Amino acid sequence: MDSLIPFTTSGSLVDCVDRKMLVVLRDGRKLHGVLRSYDQFANLVLEDTTERIYHGNAFAEHWHGLFLIRGENVVLLGEIDLDREDDVPLRQVDYHVLDPYHKNDIANKKVREDFKSQVLYEQKGFCKEGGEGDGY
Amino acid sequence: MLPLSLLTAAQNKPMLVELKNGETFNGHLVNCDNFMNITLREVYQTSADGDRFWKLKECYIRGSTIKYLRVPDTLLDAVKDEQARAREAGRSARGAGPGGRGGRGAPPRGRGGARGAGPRGGRGRGRG
Repeated sequence: MDSLIPFTTSGSLVDCVDRKMLVVLRDGRKLHGVLRSYDQFANLVLEDTTERIYHGNAFAEHWHGLFLIRGENVVLLGEIDLDREDDVPLRQVDYHVLDPYHKNDIANKKVREDFKSQVLYEQKGFCKEGGEGDGY
Repeated sequence: MLPLSLLTAAQNKPMLVELKNGETFNGHLVNCDNFMNITLREVYQTSADGDRFWKLKECYIRGSTIKYLRVPDTLLDAVKDEQARAREAGRSARGAGPGGRGGRGAPPRGRGGARGAGPRGGRGRGRG
């Protein structure tokens, strides 16, 4: 463990404001942007946002601008280290080149997840409910 | 500023709303409330697949179905400017009212944090 993050009195996003953050949404989207504000529901205002998609050893970006994200759709937030931000071991390509591969990946993943939950339901008694529409 | 305040400040501005099911609505914001329920006018609705389109004069979207909203990038700066202007207007209006300079609103003296004069009383400090 690199460091033990000291506990403050309560979890809060105040230390993340005005920092570049990675936001993962429930539909699987990965957004990079500067967190400008938040509220008690973790609704977020993200400025200068880019969406990044990945496939194999390549990635692509698409600029989206100013976002207001409803909190319940957020999976996680991670702070981006600006010093190491560009040390990406992947090569950057055009968005429209990578997009079809990305969409394909999503479709395959959905099929796998559906099959998996079906097997778990039939053979192990797991419930099939919950996580509808989640793509992460 | 709070996300919902930003939304309220975006009234009459164009925006894109994506719902949880992937449908997108492009239109001008008419009104919104604390639940993020919104009404839009002059709306172009697109299906999740991107293959079907509708034009709606007005529509109401329940907040709980929203995934996110994309607003004009200039909105954040525009709102900050408006807030700053409202603050200046408020301060000069209060300075011209009863009590004049003594209490909180003493900007010409350059007293930073004039509003935080509470703990010190603010009044006994001569002319502030």
